[in-house]
Amino acid sequence: MFRRFLMAAILVPALMVSSAFAAEKITVASDPTWPPMEFLDDNKQVVGYDVDMIKAVAKEAGMEAEVRMVAWDGIFAGVAAGNYDVVASGVTITPERQRAFLFTKPYYDVQQIVLLPKGQSAASFEELKGKTIGGQIGTTGIFVARKSDVQMNIREYDDVGLAIQDLINGRIDAVVCDSPVALYYANKKEGFNDKLSVAFRAPGNESFGFVVKKGRQDLVDKLNAGIDAVRAKGIEAELLKKWLGD
Amino acid sequence: MNEENQNNMPAGVVAAEGKIEVPAGGIKLSEERKDSVINAWTLALVGAVASLTILCTVWPDPYLDVLAFLPGGLVITFQVTILSILCAIPLGLITGLGRLSKNRVINLIASTYVEVIRGIPLLVQIFYIYYALAKFLQVSGLTSAVIAISFCYGAYMGEVFRAGIMAVNKGQTEAARSLGFNKVQTMMYVILPQALRTIVPPVGNECIAMLKDTSLVSVMAMPDLMQFGRSYAAKTYLYFETYTIIALIYLIITLLLSKGVSILEGRLNYYDKRK
Repeated sequence: MFRRFLMAAILVPALMVSSAFAAEKITVASDPTWPPMEFLDDNKQVVGYDVDMIKAVAKEAGMEAEVRMVAWDGIFAGVAAGNYDVVASGVTITPERQRAFLFTKPYYDVQQIVLLPKGQSAASFEELKGKTIGGQIGTTGIFVARKSDVQMNIREYDDVGLAIQDLINGRIDAVVCDSPVALYYANKKEGFNDKLSVAFRAPGNESFGFVVKKGRQDLVDKLNAGIDAVRAKGIEAELLKKWLGD
Repeated sequence: MNEENQNNMPAGVVAAEGKIEVPAGGIKLSEERKDSVINAWTLALVGAVASLTILCTVWPDPYLDVLAFLPGGLVITFQVTILSILCAIPLGLITGLGRLSKNRVINLIASTYVEVIRGIPLLVQIFYIYYALAKFLQVSGLTSAVIAISFCYGAYMGEVFRAGIMAVNKGQTEAARSLGFNKVQTMMYVILPQALRTIVPPVGNECIAMLKDTSLVSVMAMPDLMQFGRSYAAKTYLYFETYTIIALIYLIITLLLSKGVSILEGRLNYYDKRK
């Protein structure tokens, strides 16, 4: 009860402020540590598939999206507090998250991939029993590893790049993360692609959705209409080719 | 003149002098204040423990769940704190002595160490030792944490030791030296024991600050109290509940530690009180 009251006390003024401006401009939070979904380019701008996607979706819905850089650990707390309207940062739609936030319709499907040092192989979490596996704190990769019920030492890093760095340094045995990011590091990124290999895909498919604070169903509807328009006009295919081609 | 003065001196002055010589009375007062039930320390501790108990009994879901999730992290938090204290205090002593050394090379090394380490944030040092130096030398998370924290606090403590040693009257050194003590004996048996009284309270403070700063090791994915909390919040999205519990746990631990430091301080100041 107390919690609800407190949330209401925080949310109501935030809601009034944000809804006054939302019609024209929406603020989008993204954690730019997941190439190619979102990362910082040479000009320190947040770019990537998610970023282009939310901009296109917002445009189709008659809004303008301004993307802001926010650290992952706290990105959900920020949207709940009304600091920004949308999270577009490769967020997998999960039942737990749906209890706390609203999601748009899925816009991209992924799986969890386990990366190992080049030359090593494994076919399932069972083969990693007793090993140390790393990932980004609060991401579905960590949840999947934990749900596998295999005795592994799970280490949660602030961002996936640090986990992959530690894998290359030899301090941990494996890294689990979203498929586009894993494939980018293992196949494209210089300095990493010759040191990593894709071991296996964890069972189960996931879908990315844009996250909106509870009570903003109006915004979700607009964004859903935007996603439909982007798909219908073939913009989605273009963006997929641009960021996730090959 | 002298005689006249003595003659004129009323009997009352002697009595007044007797009254003036009452630092004992002043101390009595402060002791009374210390003993009274309501002071800031008690208020904070009772408040923290009571809030924790009330939150966990009235709303066991989610507060009790959070509390049950966290103890695993305390092991790492204490491990890092104790190991860092054990390394930082000798390092601080050596640095403090080095800063006071008349040998220019030793002095320069100690001073440069203090200036460099003091100028780099602890978080940056942790990142540097764990992620940046990994290119050349790989150490485990625990070792990195202890190295980073004890090096950082060793520099701060060096300054505390230096100040404490300098605060001992120079006459003590001169007396010891003229009694035939050599330099090492003078430092070990005469100066350091006296310096300890001024050194202990600030070093105790540094140790408490150290415990709080161990929360920074969560950036190395070390499963300490803070990391456990972040992990729980990231999974459940209960930010308010999780961080409230974490703050209360840190508060209770540091309050207990600060009581320990003040008891130690009281013991060391035994002779000051009796004066």
